[in-house]
Amino acid sequence: MLKERRKQLVNSLLVPFLAILTGLLFAGILILFAKKPPFTALAELFISSFGCQSFTNCALFTTLERATPLILTGLGAVVAFRSGMFSIGQEGQFLFGSVTAAYLGYAIHLPYVIHPIVIILASMVVGGIYGWIPGVLKVRLGVNEIISTIVMNTIAILTLEYLVNFPMNADPRTTAHSPLIDATAQLPAFLAGSKWGIGFVIAVLMAIGVYVFLWHSTSGYEQRMSGQAPFFAKFGGIKNERNAIRSMFISGAICGLAGAIEVLGVHRRIMTGFSTGLGFDGLSVAILGQSHPLGVFIVAILFAGLRLGAQLGLQLSFGIPRELGGSVIAFMILFVAAGKFYTDIIERVRKFIDKRRKPEIAGIETSKPGGGNV
Amino acid sequence: MDGFMSVFSISLVQSGLRLATPIILAALGGAICNRAGVLNFALEGMMLLGAFLGILAAYFFGNTYLGVLVAMLAGAALGAFFAFLYLRYNVDLIILAIAINMLILELTVYFMRILFGQVGTWTDPSIQKLPDINIPVIKNIPVVGEIFSGHNLIVYLSWIAVVVAYIVLFHTKFGRHLRAVGENQAAAETVGINSRRVKLFALVISGVLAALGGAFLSVGHLTMFTRNMSNGRGWIGITAALFAMNHPIGTLFTGLFFGFADAFAIRLQNVTDLPPNLIQILPHFATLLVLVLIALREKIARAVVRSRSVARIRAGLAGRKAVAREFVSGLPLDSMPGSRDDGPEPAVEEDLASGG
Repeated sequence: MLKERRKQLVNSLLVPFLAILTGLLFAGILILFAKKPPFTALAELFISSFGCQSFTNCALFTTLERATPLILTGLGAVVAFRSGMFSIGQEGQFLFGSVTAAYLGYAIHLPYVIHPIVIILASMVVGGIYGWIPGVLKVRLGVNEIISTIVMNTIAILTLEYLVNFPMNADPRTTAHSPLIDATAQLPAFLAGSKWGIGFVIAVLMAIGVYVFLWHSTSGYEQRMSGQAPFFAKFGGIKNERNAIRSMFISGAICGLAGAIEVLGVHRRIMTGFSTGLGFDGLSVAILGQSHPLGVFIVAILFAGLRLGAQLGLQLSFGIPRELGGSVIAFMILFVAAGKFYTDIIERVRKFIDKRRKPEIAGIETSKPGGGNV
Repeated sequence: MDGFMSVFSISLVQSGLRLATPIILAALGGAICNRAGVLNFALEGMMLLGAFLGILAAYFFGNTYLGVLVAMLAGAALGAFFAFLYLRYNVDLIILAIAINMLILELTVYFMRILFGQVGTWTDPSIQKLPDINIPVIKNIPVVGEIFSGHNLIVYLSWIAVVVAYIVLFHTKFGRHLRAVGENQAAAETVGINSRRVKLFALVISGVLAALGGAFLSVGHLTMFTRNMSNGRGWIGITAALFAMNHPIGTLFTGLFFGFADAFAIRLQNVTDLPPNLIQILPHFATLLVLVLIALREKIARAVVRSRSVARIRAGLAGRKAVAREFVSGLPLDSMPGSRDDGPEPAVEEDLASGG
């Protein structure tokens, strides 16, 4: 039993590790296609994403800043996945959270501390409602949540474009953007010149919160059971339908929070092209992080680093397109999803080691009596 | 009002037919996969791959028809790859589709940049658009000729594909096997149908169709490639397939519905002052609405079937009860409790009502 558990643990750690390694191998091949040196380029990728030359010039801080929305949208996806809802609506919920934050940032005026709290709560409610809609459609009518959330993402992207171009446009002469939010609403950063700040702390707290909710609370247990074993849950008196809808609301609220932090802490406004796929990355983070808050936390930082390194390190200094980052992430998801490929290999290696070990043990046992004679 | 009415014209019908083509092809691919019981959410990526490789091959070979052929082959290869990972390594279909969609989106832009140095769109004057075909007799008929003649090869191929898919699905052995696997895989395997082969074929065919739709976008409708050119058409295709209840002929009409919604939105942009983003939302709202309608229809259908079967069972039970009562009344033991024979039946009814 214990051995079986250890085996499982080793697999759940080894598979993502091997998948990441294979992903990097493919990154090297893609760099070769661009006729650039793969090893120096990959080294540059890591230096410009996780390197730290001095305290004020530290790529790691930027990576952590970029990881903040990914952690949150990833957590949003985890809550939905664990309750059996395959929602891919993180992008739309994130965007509506951002829109709400950007609007309340300049439209209402409140003192420090209270202003961001009000905005964050409002964004969470709006994001939550945008998640609640596909949840209700799925549970009450049976609308496939994957397709409905995809369509709702597009609707959200277009709505945001409309809002920044028309009602919320601050200056029609330049590229469309909304007015700057009040100073009272902005989230402080840890260092001057960096945008890594309170938002990251909120994200970490949220990761712990999601873990405690899902694994150490009654309603979280109910939620997971409705996802893992719906019939068991039903016979145990758990209301699956209500749980599914609630999980979609919570998932949307966390993504809305991500949008609020992105606006209050980083951009301080919304502009055309605000949707850069942070919600989609959150989905990938959740898949690669094995739908666990800790996994999400680690993978989000890795992803943010890959994206940043591909943009700053590869595109600017090597002329390698930054889409490399996204491609590698997609490869990694593919390889983690094809985990059986790796577990087959691990199993084979394990058998090979066992085979080599057994004759040795047998040899010791048979030699024992002879050794006693000497 | 006069300006508004000008939206409805023959050119609306023509552009509706054109815009419907990629959606019909994707919907047909989706319908075939659904019939075989494999969810293919990678249609979006397959379409994008077809669009990119189609125009790339047309550029390198200098022949657009060759480009279309390469796109179809690429779609087949991606479908086979999808099937390989799914059948050999039991990869979750949804995660697999998400990864493939993302991979194709990023890789097409990556290669567009390293090959041509273009970020958003790429085109080359040497690329020939797929020529329009005028059908000899039909083109001379006034309105009909304008509507049905003068489209390119892929438009006609999509119509032919719909008919062929219908014949194959419902009038051949392979189609029968495919539907059997989709309806009950275990039963199909028991009678000796190779379900893996059927699923492989379904995925390959859907890849070919979706990639053909993609090639239509890049070399049939326009002669350029843009980042994320498929732009959700694969997903709309999946919705269209569901809307058509996975019937090939149905996909033609649901595809046309979405094509016309698209064409209508574009026309509306020219004649009204409504902001373009709001008009672009319209087809997506239509999609959402259709999704709700599909669900409602299925729910009602289930409710009808259930109430019918419950009624039938009730009638049967009533008949049996009458027989039982006659039998009991004929017995000398008058003390036989009448409630005994009522006992188990309501539970059965309840079970059927809630579970069936």
